[in-house]
Amino acid sequence: MNNILSFDQVCVEASSAKDAEFPILDSISLNLQQGESLGIVGGSGSGKSTLLRVAMGILARGLSLASGTVVTAGVDLLKVGPEMRQKMYGNKIALVPQSIGEALSPHRTIEGHFRDTLGSAASIEKMVDALVDSGLEGSKFLHRFPHQVSGGERQRILIALALVRSPELLLLDEPTSALDRDVAAEVLATISRLQVKRRFALICVSHDFEVVRRTCGQLAVMNNGRIVERGPTDHVLTKPTDSYTKALLDSIPKPNHRIRESHSIGSHSVISANKISVIRGTKNRVLDSVDFKVRQGEVVGVIGQSGSGKSTLLSVICGLVSPSSGSICNEDGFDLSIPLAKRPSNITSAIQLVFQNPDDSLNPKRTVQQSLSRYSGATVSQLIQVLESVELTSTFLSRYPSEMSGGEKQRVAIARALLTQPKILLLDEVTSALDVNIQAAVFQMLAKVQQSTKMAMVIVSHDLELVASFADRLVVLKDGLATEHGSAQIR
Amino acid sequence: MKFFTKDKTPRGKILAYCVLVFHGAIALLAPVLHLTPTDEQDATTMLQGISFDHWLGTDGLGRDVFSRVLHGGRPSLVIALVATAIAAMIGVSLGSFAALAGGWIDEALSRLIDFLLAVPTLILLLLIASFFGQDPVILSLTLGLMYAPPIARVSRASTQILLARDFVRVARLQGGNGLTILVNEILPNIWQVVFNEIAMQFTWIILAFSSLSFLGLGVTPPTPEWGLMIAEARSYMTINPVSVIAPICMLASLVLAVQALVDHE
Amino acid sequence: MGLNQSSSMLFGGKISAFRDGNVKSILQRVFFSTCAFVALAAVAFIGIDALPGDGCTALLGRFGTDEQISKCRIENELDQPVIDRLGSWANDLVHGDLGYSIKRDQSVDEIIIPRIRNTLFLGLVAAVIAFPSAVVIGLLVGRFPKSRVGRIINSGSVIMMTLPEFVTATILWLVFAIWIPIFPGVTVLSSDASLAELLPNVWMPALTLAAVVFAHSMRTTRAGVSVVQMMPFIESARLRGTNERVILFRHILPAALPPVVNAIAVDLAWLFTGTFVTEAVFNYRGLGRLAIDAISDRDTSLILPIVLFSLAMYLTMSLVADIVVKILDPRLRVERR
Repeated sequence: MNNILSFDQVCVEASSAKDAEFPILDSISLNLQQGESLGIVGGSGSGKSTLLRVAMGILARGLSLASGTVVTAGVDLLKVGPEMRQKMYGNKIALVPQSIGEALSPHRTIEGHFRDTLGSAASIEKMVDALVDSGLEGSKFLHRFPHQVSGGERQRILIALALVRSPELLLLDEPTSALDRDVAAEVLATISRLQVKRRFALICVSHDFEVVRRTCGQLAVMNNGRIVERGPTDHVLTKPTDSYTKALLDSIPKPNHRIRESHSIGSHSVISANKISVIRGTKNRVLDSVDFKVRQGEVVGVIGQSGSGKSTLLSVICGLVSPSSGSICNEDGFDLSIPLAKRPSNITSAIQLVFQNPDDSLNPKRTVQQSLSRYSGATVSQLIQVLESVELTSTFLSRYPSEMSGGEKQRVAIARALLTQPKILLLDEVTSALDVNIQAAVFQMLAKVQQSTKMAMVIVSHDLELVASFADRLVVLKDGLATEHGSAQIR
Repeated sequence: MKFFTKDKTPRGKILAYCVLVFHGAIALLAPVLHLTPTDEQDATTMLQGISFDHWLGTDGLGRDVFSRVLHGGRPSLVIALVATAIAAMIGVSLGSFAALAGGWIDEALSRLIDFLLAVPTLILLLLIASFFGQDPVILSLTLGLMYAPPIARVSRASTQILLARDFVRVARLQGGNGLTILVNEILPNIWQVVFNEIAMQFTWIILAFSSLSFLGLGVTPPTPEWGLMIAEARSYMTINPVSVIAPICMLASLVLAVQALVDHE
Repeated sequence: MGLNQSSSMLFGGKISAFRDGNVKSILQRVFFSTCAFVALAAVAFIGIDALPGDGCTALLGRFGTDEQISKCRIENELDQPVIDRLGSWANDLVHGDLGYSIKRDQSVDEIIIPRIRNTLFLGLVAAVIAFPSAVVIGLLVGRFPKSRVGRIINSGSVIMMTLPEFVTATILWLVFAIWIPIFPGVTVLSSDASLAELLPNVWMPALTLAAVVFAHSMRTTRAGVSVVQMMPFIESARLRGTNERVILFRHILPAALPPVVNAIAVDLAWLFTGTFVTEAVFNYRGLGRLAIDAISDRDTSLILPIVLFSLAMYLTMSLVADIVVKILDPRLRVERR
């Protein structure tokens, strides 16, 4: 009975209707022993992050423990006072939260951070050892400030800080969601290695099955606050029994499985770009002599890491950014290097762009109907028609953005772009902020739209499998340079 | 002070609203109520305390304090309202326009705003009041111009934040030009913050004008005004303290009420 | 590069160096501020000159005949065109000659310098009273906003900040000069009195000014602290077991400082230049009192230097604030090899 962590029928409720949007927990039971590793996968709103915080004895404002008990390292953290909890943090249990913002204090050196957590037991040796264990050359980092380290390095530092006092339990919340793919792979390998070496209990929470597959022996899937499936990782991934788990796994783009079939591609180019360069400041070549063509009815996928220039390429095409050099024109030879404000309206309506963040692309003070009709002058029946094409009912016309989910907002944004019946639709990471099953649904809808309108599309993403399953042709951008990879059928 | 410790809950705000309504009512109705004329002097009844005839006593010239107090807010309020309107119009248009235009126009306008902020406001007011006579029109104009820069700064900053948001870029893509974007996308999202700043400036303008009157350069006596009344009553504070305390309470409560409603920290 | 080295020596090596870009931008700011000053000075000169009346009418008042006035003007070169006078005034200024007050028959610097000294003294006393306590209290109230003490301090500071200066001054006067006579009610000393002699008279005006300024700095600190303590790195530090006091002073405070530095700079500038009303109430012989007298006397030769002093003070304080904020920001430091 060596449970480092145990949840016994834990139910967490929102104390008022207004807080009901917070994820709550429903009859959660789990046990974790020393050396075991459990991965928790779920969409946004599934309660997985709440679970981690409850394990640390933290309940957000508006939440309360309705029933059940949580015992962490022998202590019920929800019932003891804050001083006792502070003693345990870092010492017996450690949580590395999701670092969307800054997880390290910008005014403190790395060494300072270590001193904060080690207190009087601090020594340079311990700090360097912890950093080396995490895969970093220790002494170089101690005097640096957080803005002087890269994303991957920061994550490793956070892990080192969490482990420096050798806690019995480590909780990781989305450890790699902010990192590029190859950096993420290395960090996950480090986590795995550390867990084997130090034998701490590990819970790793993610929306991505891959993260869990590489680090955890056990896997649990959460949906709406409940654990819907649990078992050894390989088992759950290959033979899932729960329907939600199956839906999630099915949504993952698989190699050689196409969401969309290619068909008639016209011969002349809707967009033709030659040696486009965009230079910011004096040295920063965001795009470096890129050649780019999109033919009628073609879907081109553009992939690359963050900072590779993919979004800038789209901005150049639609005119939000002017190229520093190079030429770009449409099928009629119209020069598209002039900025958006100077383009005639028939040109601007032919090229439309959908942005990444669904929370940002709709005016929060306007209903869907107002946002859609404001600049297009479309009639209500036209609006209903375009909403249907993105699989939304007419009830959405009167809704405000705050009343819609991320996937619904993104569909509205796509509908808005479709209103002008563009010849080419540019999609900038449109599903990166969505859960993987919603992502699959949106792309299936896009496939239908493309089939019926035969419009050209440019899909930008960092997710290779997703784009490869949808596009006709792939272009890879790295540091502003483009390499063509030919047809997506051949990978 | 008890009611102030809960100024986050509706109770504080309700109180503030009541105070504001009270002030508004008094300012509007004062001339209509049958009060003692504010300039009626009576040498026989100088500096008397609270009595049935004079509910708050009399001042150094035998005038009725109660009616002077009720009328005392009107000059500052009128001038402050006009000046605030001027400041708001200039400030919001200047600030949003600067942010929308971007580039060198923005740079130039920001420099101008910084320039204007460096001007010492009270000196300028004193100078203008002293040299141009205490003409309310000129004073309102000056106050409006002087208090426009802070509003411009807030408008510009909020507009800039909004310009970075995707839905504004979408509006451009959909064919919106500067003006339509300003009206449809930006103003609905910034008006709350900007209005707060405008309300704060309103309180500063009231205080500036009262200070001016306190120094004898605001209203022309015998027009009653709270600042002026406080200055006059200072010399006989010990004899009839009500004549000082009453205008202080009125001025303070008005300014505090506006600030309590607008300030949300 | 000399600036880099001297800044690292100045702070005991705490800063290795500024990135070149920042030195450049600071120099740009200095240049711009100087240009602004020169431009505003010229505008002030021409503006004040445009006001009805000049030194001669001030001297002779209403009773001077036209003859006397024009004679006086020719004597004092007041009949030259504006641009010429602007030029010669600027020339004098650069050589350190502040001019001459016809009305008071004294050179301007004789009049102004002691007043500036008195006002600076007053401002510093007020600053020392107000700023340290404002930051500490703001820090604590921002950290514990829901406490009863916190809410009382909040409300109290709102009141202090919105009460007009003359009201606060009057109340203090009532309490400390009439009811409990500790301090003298009026200042009867001349402006040349030594600082030690001024000491008993400085407290009430300093307290009045401190009240206004305290509230502003305290609220800026408090607002900064509330924003910062919501940030992810604070929770992150707490989850690592960091001591609460360390969090408050080493994580929250440094991050919340920049707007506080700006607020203090602006307030300091105001303390040295905007104290007319308070000095009037207590008859304190400082620059503010002089300004009011000069304006009612229409003594333009005094008004102008006072306006310039205000401008210079404000511009300097803003600049110093910007520099301090940049120094404090670790993001602007260059990595040591």
